[in-house]
Amino acid sequence: MIMFTITAMDTSMADAIGSQLSLPLSIWLSPSFPVGAFAYSHGLEWAVESGLVSNAADLKDWIGDLLTLGSARNDAILLAQAWRVAHDSDLLAHVHELALALAPSCERHLETAATGAAFVTAIRAAWPCATLDMFEGAVAYPVALGAAARGHDMPLMALLEQFLLAFTANLVSAAVRLGPIGQTDGQRILAHCLNAIGQTARFAHESGLEDLGSASLTSDLASMQHETQYSRLFRS
Amino acid sequence: MNAPLPQDTHLPAHARARGAVRARFAANRGRSAIADLYEAGGLRLRFPRGTAGCEAVLVNTGGGVAGGDTAALSFHACADADVTLTTQAAEKIYRAQNIAARINLDLVAEEGARLEWLPQETILFDGARLTRDFTLCAAETARVTLLEATVFGRLAMGERDISGLLADRWRLRRAGKLVFAEDLRLEGEIAAILDRKACGAGARATALLLHMSPDAESLLEPVRESLSAAPCSAGASAWNGLLCVRLMSPAPEKMRAALSPLLEILRGRPAPRVWQ
Repeated sequence: MIMFTITAMDTSMADAIGSQLSLPLSIWLSPSFPVGAFAYSHGLEWAVESGLVSNAADLKDWIGDLLTLGSARNDAILLAQAWRVAHDSDLLAHVHELALALAPSCERHLETAATGAAFVTAIRAAWPCATLDMFEGAVAYPVALGAAARGHDMPLMALLEQFLLAFTANLVSAAVRLGPIGQTDGQRILAHCLNAIGQTARFAHESGLEDLGSASLTSDLASMQHETQYSRLFRS
Repeated sequence: MNAPLPQDTHLPAHARARGAVRARFAANRGRSAIADLYEAGGLRLRFPRGTAGCEAVLVNTGGGVAGGDTAALSFHACADADVTLTTQAAEKIYRAQNIAARINLDLVAEEGARLEWLPQETILFDGARLTRDFTLCAAETARVTLLEATVFGRLAMGERDISGLLADRWRLRRAGKLVFAEDLRLEGEIAAILDRKACGAGARATALLLHMSPDAESLLEPVRESLSAAPCSAGASAWNGLLCVRLMSPAPEKMRAALSPLLEILRGRPAPRVWQ
């Protein structure tokens, strides 16, 4: 009877804490959180311009590959590592340095460093936590996010899923603005990508830095070609 | 990732090559020359005459790299030394049974040194498994140029649909700070991955060319101008005192044609003979 009572209480407490914990994540990863993610297309604008991505099927493949084989997979690994080591300043400094160095081009460096710095500013203003103390100036966005989430004791799995979903939604929204797909296709692609998001989140949850590895070479090259694109909406 | 078996069951331990070259180059009254050299296994360093600076050519007397082979390469350019390293031939990576071949390249460039690693292409045969680690420690004023060009399959023989593993890890430091890192991982059905639009869009040859020097960012415009006439997909970007060029093509010879003029721009002198 005592056992039952304790179990029931633990469960209800965990539920209460769980709902409180994941609410800030929805705020931090919403498109309206002031990090300016909407200004970056991660090279997609060039892929559209060059005809590599010209319809919903292309975009579904493009984003799916970034999630399972490419840069988003790496970012999820970096996010998970920052979350794990957020209370160890030496290890956090290591993943901080590595994540910035992993940018494959000037614009992708700008994308992660500028959104990361804006995220730190916004969190310091409204959600202060000690795990962000070491960051000054450029910081890779997944590392800043991971450190802040750990500083507020948010669960890693929810963090990974929400982060990958926000990445996907941002690219879908960019594609809608660029023209190759409409709103309905965008929702279909989001629904389709949930599988890949879950798969990569589960992988990253168990990963370490030795698992870093990307195959998205065209996407990396596209971010370089975007730098000289004549007419552009996005900063990457 | 599949865990490798403890040993490659098709090859006895003594049959696997363990090669190493460690070389240190020093400048003396304006001339650069080899100062220390250690060679082991089937790897040799040769020094053709009549080149500006010190040019060294790496030779693999084993004629290729099999699963389980290891090569440990270490090149150190002392202050003001001027060193260019190339390879005698494209390196062939044969089908591996279980264990990946491993190549480690460790470079050091001291103040005022000029160090170039410009090997010819690495060709992955179907079933090849290769893991490479590249590290660089460069002084603030060093000039370093690094190239890795990879061809996926013996294309002239119609071998276009290869599987296997290529895992490259780059960690480049300048003045102690990590300024560039890259982790490439192509595993399994490599050709099918390279056919995906975000990954290779049909490429069978890829190259990464990195240049680090105090004036690296000022070379971006001439490099881009050269790339505008390149017969393959290519892009260049500069940040953090680093210039990075990426090239991809379904045809290795087109990528090579784009690389030669780039090397000339980065070096301020003609490309090494093997790249002309």
